[in-house]
Amino acid sequence: MKYATTIGERTYLIEINRDGEVTIDGETFSIDLQPIDAVTYSLLLGHASHEALVEANEHELAVLLHGRMYTVQVLDERERRLAQRSGGLAATTGEIMIKSPMPGLIVAVPVSEGQAVKKGQTVVVLESMKMENELKAPRDGMVAAIKIVPRQSVEQHQPLVVLT
Amino acid sequence: MFKKVLIANRGEIAVRILRACHELGIQTVAVYSEVDRNALHVRYAHEAYCIGPAPSRESYLRADRILDVAKQSGADAIHPGYGFLAEREDFAQACEDAGVAFIGPKPSAIAAMGDKAVARATVQKAGVPVVPGTEGEGGLHDDEIISIAPTIGFPLLIKATAGGGGKGMRRVEDMTQLPGALTSARREAESAFGDGAVYLEKLVQGARHIEIQLLADTHGNVIHLGERECSIQRRHQKIIEESPSPAIDAELREKMGAVAVKAAQAVDYHNAGTIEFLLDKDKNFFFLEMNTRLQVEHPITEIVTGVDIVKEQIRIARGRPLRWKQRSIKQRGWAIECRITAEDPFNNFMPSTGKITRLDRPTGPGVRIDSGLYEGFEITPYYDSLIGKLICWGESRAEAILRMRRALDEYRIVGVKTNIPFHQAMMSSHRFFAGSFDTTFVEERFSMEEDTPPEQERIAAVIATLVAHQRGQQATQVVRRNERDTSNWKWIARWERLQR
Repeated sequence: MKYATTIGERTYLIEINRDGEVTIDGETFSIDLQPIDAVTYSLLLGHASHEALVEANEHELAVLLHGRMYTVQVLDERERRLAQRSGGLAATTGEIMIKSPMPGLIVAVPVSEGQAVKKGQTVVVLESMKMENELKAPRDGMVAAIKIVPRQSVEQHQPLVVLT
Repeated sequence: MFKKVLIANRGEIAVRILRACHELGIQTVAVYSEVDRNALHVRYAHEAYCIGPAPSRESYLRADRILDVAKQSGADAIHPGYGFLAEREDFAQACEDAGVAFIGPKPSAIAAMGDKAVARATVQKAGVPVVPGTEGEGGLHDDEIISIAPTIGFPLLIKATAGGGGKGMRRVEDMTQLPGALTSARREAESAFGDGAVYLEKLVQGARHIEIQLLADTHGNVIHLGERECSIQRRHQKIIEESPSPAIDAELREKMGAVAVKAAQAVDYHNAGTIEFLLDKDKNFFFLEMNTRLQVEHPITEIVTGVDIVKEQIRIARGRPLRWKQRSIKQRGWAIECRITAEDPFNNFMPSTGKITRLDRPTGPGVRIDSGLYEGFEITPYYDSLIGKLICWGESRAEAILRMRRALDEYRIVGVKTNIPFHQAMMSSHRFFAGSFDTTFVEERFSMEEDTPPEQERIAAVIATLVAHQRGQQATQVVRRNERDTSNWKWIARWERLQR
């Protein structure tokens, strides 16, 4: 099976062949991937041993390898054709929900509804583990709705702010 | 010796103190909050008592309940660890009044050093150099602070009078930022220490944070155990410490040690304590504060000097004279500590909570771990994000760094995000290796995203592709797992061949 795998700017053409072989950009390697637990994988690429933590969501995989985090998109041939036709998968528009990453207490909401925000701008200050944590806008946008108020306790994954 | 010691703390430090007690043949009493029932300190102690709900204020900060447990269990001493009640002179006094030994300094010494403004004035009188800032009594109003600020000069720091660990601390660049920073610093101080009082201090630029570990008995003997380098900080929270410091030679060590001893003597200090200094580029040093308790980073000093600081604390509290003379204290080799926190270094160090589903700990020569973690333990949002300390020793600084790099590679914690990748990046950083950094290094000149080796990126791509491939296959087929002697992926490849 053929895949186009993208990390940052670079796309690798990777073909998974029969009997423990993989072809990467035309070069063929023997390969053995063993799951150690739900997220830990041991890889023998030839005889080179690597271990990685892999977490997958719908569109991409996060691979933690030798202390570095790689955000990886893997498309098979059909998905790749679809993506090329629709002009890419990356969501640069549309609604984004900022959710609480953990239970905690809302300390401040330094934005208001209708306000334009820049990528990296703090939208909520959440106290948890005895520290104030700043939740930032993942991209430029506008604050469409604020679902919480200061001093409110929130649960993990609770919606806090909607950006458009 | 004491027969039974109550440990008024949780997490890795409670475990550390239990170990010292057990090695001394002392019975131990743990206290715990409702969410800590399964914590390691409860499991390791000889007795354990629940002291209230999860929030610290209703459990680990409840001095009255802890003293009730001391009475009920017949404990003859209390070790407060660090944080929580460790630097409350009223708690030390209450222990004394209840006839229970407090393993730490006298209440008067905690009071003298605990209000940092008073502490500065006290040591200054004893001839110890201090950083310019608001001296004398703490607890100034915002108006007073705003009027004093220009005379100190910017940039400056707001610090919590009752504080430590960077909580309630803010860097202020100019007058316009001051009112907002005051409000948020007071709020954080109020929530962390129950006291919103703050003071100002001039920011010494390009400074290193160097501290001297002291031991003082009740017979007038005070010695120092050399320095710790604590300049690798983020948001004024130490992340990596080492001993000795690459910036200090024998002459400066003796000079700073002697000044630290003088500062402790100024408040008639007993037990273990630490004098923190700022060291500027020209090797001038200024008293910052004294921590009147055991420090998080005490293990690196233990490893290079061979002194078990927690056991010494217990002996001193029992009235024993120090077993060490200054001249018998020697630093051997180099030790580094990485504080492992449940924080995501790829997402602005956001704290992370959850159940530990896998834990592989590094071992081997020169590696020590102080931690309360085990597989199945749940990290809750109620307490500090420190989940363990990885300490490595080497014959030289280079060996200690390389060993730390190796140990970090072996450390696997699954279930929460940890800052291990941050430490790996730091141990590979040229500037860290060269020892040329100051307290602003992490925030101003360090990046996690330097020079990714292309070969490793390719391996990451292969792993991701294989995992996506397996998941894609498994999503459409019922796959029986682990009853094959070849790998999943080989099995899938063979299965695919059959389908052709």
